[in-house]
Amino acid sequence: MTARNEPLSVPIIASVGAVVIVLLPYWKQILLAFAVAVAIVLAFTLKNFYLFQLTLALIYALAILGLNLLTGYNGQFSLGHSAFFAIGAYTAAILMEQGNVPYYWTLPVAGFVCLVSGYLFGLPALRLEGIYLALATFALALAMPQLLKFTPLEHWTGGVQGIVLLKPEAPFGLNISSDQWLWLFTVGVSVVMYVCAYQLIKSRTGRAMMAIRDNPIAAKSMGIDLSLYKSLTFGVSALYTGVAGALAAIVIAFVAPDSFTLVLAIGLFVGMVVGGAASIVGTLIGGLFVLYVPNVAEYFTKGLSGAMYGLILIGTIYLMPSGAAGLFRLTLHRLITRLASR
Amino acid sequence: MTAILLEAKRMDAYYGPVQVLYGIDIEVVSGGITTLLGANGAGKTTTLRSLTGMTDTKGEIRFDGHSIAGHATEDIVRLGIAHVPQGRGTFVRETVEENLQIGAMTRRGGAQITADVERVYGYFPRLKERRRQQAGTLSGGEQQMLAVGRGLMLRPKLMLLDEPSFGLAPLLVQELFGILRTLNRDEGVSMLIVEQNAALALDLADHAYLIETGKLVMSGPSRELRDNETIRRSYLGY
Amino acid sequence: MELFVNQVLAGLATGAIYACMALAVVMIYQAIDSLNFAQGEMAMFSTFIAWQLLQWGMPYWAAFFFTVGISFVAGVLIERVVFKPVQKADILSHIVIFIALFAIINSGAGYIWDFNIKPFPSPFGTRELFGQRLISSHDAGMIGISILMLILLYLFFAYTRVGLAMRAAAANPESARLAGIRVGWMLALGWGMAAAIGAVAGMLIAPRVFLEPNMMLSILLYGFAGAVVGGLTSPLGAVIGGVSVGVVENLAGTFIPYVGRELKLTIALALIVAVLTVKPTGLFGRTVETRV
Repeated sequence: MTARNEPLSVPIIASVGAVVIVLLPYWKQILLAFAVAVAIVLAFTLKNFYLFQLTLALIYALAILGLNLLTGYNGQFSLGHSAFFAIGAYTAAILMEQGNVPYYWTLPVAGFVCLVSGYLFGLPALRLEGIYLALATFALALAMPQLLKFTPLEHWTGGVQGIVLLKPEAPFGLNISSDQWLWLFTVGVSVVMYVCAYQLIKSRTGRAMMAIRDNPIAAKSMGIDLSLYKSLTFGVSALYTGVAGALAAIVIAFVAPDSFTLVLAIGLFVGMVVGGAASIVGTLIGGLFVLYVPNVAEYFTKGLSGAMYGLILIGTIYLMPSGAAGLFRLTLHRLITRLASR
Repeated sequence: MTAILLEAKRMDAYYGPVQVLYGIDIEVVSGGITTLLGANGAGKTTTLRSLTGMTDTKGEIRFDGHSIAGHATEDIVRLGIAHVPQGRGTFVRETVEENLQIGAMTRRGGAQITADVERVYGYFPRLKERRRQQAGTLSGGEQQMLAVGRGLMLRPKLMLLDEPSFGLAPLLVQELFGILRTLNRDEGVSMLIVEQNAALALDLADHAYLIETGKLVMSGPSRELRDNETIRRSYLGY
Repeated sequence: MELFVNQVLAGLATGAIYACMALAVVMIYQAIDSLNFAQGEMAMFSTFIAWQLLQWGMPYWAAFFFTVGISFVAGVLIERVVFKPVQKADILSHIVIFIALFAIINSGAGYIWDFNIKPFPSPFGTRELFGQRLISSHDAGMIGISILMLILLYLFFAYTRVGLAMRAAAANPESARLAGIRVGWMLALGWGMAAAIGAVAGMLIAPRVFLEPNMMLSILLYGFAGAVVGGLTSPLGAVIGGVSVGVVENLAGTFIPYVGRELKLTIALALIVAVLTVKPTGLFGRTVETRV
């Protein structure tokens, strides 16, 4: 199928973005504008390959944001978010391959499918606490590649070989490469989703989510419907990671079962902790960590890359027990108290 | 001249970077009962926790001749201090009897320990009735008795009690404080009691301290504090 | 009918493996109130050590007990060196440390001993019992040793002072300190015991699945499933849970079309979720009542 140059995606994202951004406090709007400006500059200064990598880092960051909504803000552990990433990716891939759907329409569909599947998984998860839930999701992550290789479903999933897709071209006949366009596209989608997540956390719903995390019994006695919030959070969390997965399918132009193993689930979890649980901006650091650290580990110690990765992880936790965001807050706090005591 | 069993000099305490106690000077004489009074959040619990090494502290703390500032809780406890914490600290999954045995973990001599368990049951017959029950199913009052019993299993020289009357029915409180009086008189257990119920505490104790927002503001024999105008207005209600 | 019985027996054999692992899982849970995802890798590494000792000519049982001893010490060391500095961090950080341990141990084993599969001897021989090629003397030996470990663990926790101290330290560390218990060392002891049990599990499992660095991941998951199904607070539940998981896996593989080879892990997932939905504390777990 050819990637069509339909211009529809741009006005849609722009208008949704505008609505959502307008609701931000003044100085955050400025920060955001600055970030977007940086992104645009990068689009025209970095080589295609680096842009591709950066796009992936942003996609991982978005996936981690999804996980963070569930674990960091709502206290439900998940070691299985690779499953939702996979569902999103495969939904997009199948729609594009079998349904000739333009790539940008796959995002809302993938999001919706994941919202539903996340919610459905969230229902039995209501009965599971802490480590038990971590375990169940761990099993989910392990099971997903098996399900994707399942022979009766091969017609749809492409079995072990997966599905090969075509990389979309830039619209409006713009003279930029696929990688540049996809980077900007991903930035656009991410901006909208990040701002929505921010608004969600700041809202009453966000406070209810955090109340459930901190003291479920107290939350319940204040009239918060635990079951509803917890399973909905699961759904929304899956939606975010699923959209990230769909983006990944589009950008990489390939999906296969072995791209969505436990390694990815662990990577997302680790990325969340390193960036800082319950931090929206921290997810960006997490995304970079997921993308680059395994490579760094591989570069320095050929045969022992796993061991190097593990050592880096341990070092990171020792130095930043609350993640990068936690370290940032701590430093800021210390700075402010030092200035204040003058 | 009576021996000073426990004393803290210029003790500061911190929760992380935040300072919560400022220059606390407190002492408990051997064989005496001392009480620490104050409103909610004044720092009473923090003082007890600091004495048993559960917070970051600066300053001098001496028990029975040894310096214990900066030592680990489990080492301080082994010198003979039993700390009955706020919230009872019950081992909810373990049985009542196991809770008592845990209290004796630092002691040798199985026969002695069994004898002590029976002694605790002597003071608290209700616990004996429930000896094989999971401790988490006991009522607040029973868990408080269990916590005191667990402390007793240490054969302590000093007991620190954090709000022993909290959440207890008045009759139970009378019973408990009667037992504390007996323990002090018959077994020579010195005590430092933190209480919000000032009347009760001043009745039991020889000596009293008043703490407000992390600082000691008054100290003296309890009958003096009981007659003091400020204390009467703010803490005794008349 | 005959097929059913055969498959049950075969399931019991596999289940014995999972039961062994489940015991180690419950052990560490009793000690640290958390699950150690690196448990399987530690067991695998211990088995490699045993293999190395055997390569160097040590007789089997000498190597066996030596390995158990080394594993115990290693477990204690890992707790004191790796975990003590991050004791105060939250559970998310702990999980990441487990993950890091997993990566280090797995990678280390592959580096030292390479990824080719190696045969590992069994002390029980491989005679076929019941003449059906389904349960061998080794499988029976596995079940026997698991039950033996189970009994020893039960006696330890229920009747010894150290066992009670460990339970106290895991249940309420602050109160335990106030009773004079050295909580840090209790944790280390728990780790050591879990590592030792894991070593035994690994050495019993290796003859069946062949020794290689990635042998334990799915077994660990089944071990978790067994432990969870049995109730994480019950060693007996762990053994029964582990065996049940083996039997169910085998029956599902035989009697439900397409399953088995392809969807084994999915079965484990379904099992965990199903049991926990119905009985969140597992079949034998104790429901703890706490007053709020």
